[in-house]
Amino acid sequence: MTTHRDYGTGPPDEYVEAEIHRMLTEDPAVAEQGITVVRRERALVLSGEVESAHRREEILRRVAERFPDVPITTDIGVIRAQAPTEIEQLP
Amino acid sequence: MAIRIAAVGDVHMDEDVVGRFRPALEQLPGSADVLLLAGDLTRHGTEDEARCVAREFGGLGVPVIAVLGNHDHQCDQVPQVVGALEEAGIIVLEGNGVVLDCVGGRLGVAGVKGFGGGFAGRCASDFGEPEMKAFVHTTTESADRLGEALQSLECDMLVALTHYSPVPDTLAGEPLEIYPFLGCYQLGQAIDSAPTALALHGHAHHGSERGTTPAGIRVRNVAHPVIKQAYSVYHLGDHLDQAQVSGVGAGGIQQPWS
Ligand SMILES: [Fe+2]
Ligand SMILES: [Fe+2]
Repeated sequence: MTTHRDYGTGPPDEYVEAEIHRMLTEDPAVAEQGITVVRRERALVLSGEVESAHRREEILRRVAERFPDVPITTDIGVIRAQAPTEIEQLP
Repeated sequence: MAIRIAAVGDVHMDEDVVGRFRPALEQLPGSADVLLLAGDLTRHGTEDEARCVAREFGGLGVPVIAVLGNHDHQCDQVPQVVGALEEAGIIVLEGNGVVLDCVGGRLGVAGVKGFGGGFAGRCASDFGEPEMKAFVHTTTESADRLGEALQSLECDMLVALTHYSPVPDTLAGEPLEIYPFLGCYQLGQAIDSAPTALALHGHAHHGSERGTTPAGIRVRNVAHPVIKQAYSVYHLGDHLDQAQVSGVGAGGIQQPWS
């Protein structure tokens, strides 16, 4: 993984977005390929779904740790794991 | 009488997930003949994580058949991962197949992890640098092995199980730019080379559920983030049997092993 440099105080740029996106997969504490990183006007928004609440917290912790100056908001859900209520018939 | 197939992929198991699927899985003996796991069973492909998969998906009372995904390769412990799964009675396919005797007939499942490469007209070619050729060789070899496995099975109903997608249809929702990392048309071609009834895959967490191959074979993306339930159940082969529609208490399972 490439290391990040000084970001200053401006809005998060495209390289930061790329770096965070890669970190979410390559950081062994996260290892998620299904998290979307979108650059909004004021912050980076992380969205997607993970398998446990613990993983969501871990993502927030790791990103804040590595990118303390980047404003980030998150909208990450935990995937439901209930039995199906319907089946699909395939003739 | 239909053959009842339960399937899910991308469960990405580790200690923190153990137990989440189990209540739903306990219902399988009454509602499915087999459970298929479409790869990315673990988070990093460690033996410890594979033991979590074994605890969650082992001893279910229905046969469990799996392929591995890219996450299951991350720590280069594939033999240990496969060993831990097999110890729990989970059948792991990679370029081969298995036939199960179900009440509704003989179900053949051929499986391979598969690989990326892209789709017709927008794919990688066997040309240029050795790295590029190696990439495409991985794609074609994987698809070839799936085709051979599918063609070799003698059964009443044939199902293809992969991690990577054989069609672009079930990737809808993913960024177009990453399609070549999500699947390849060669897998679809392999599926179309045999009398396949259904193709199941995972890997595309943001994709969509339904698609078809160029020959019209049904494809389903069963990645957990896509189906948003513990598993999906498909009834193959007899859509007119109303007893099956309820999906409750229908028939037992003849298991070819104990
Ligand atoms: Fe996955
Ligand atoms: Fe995957």
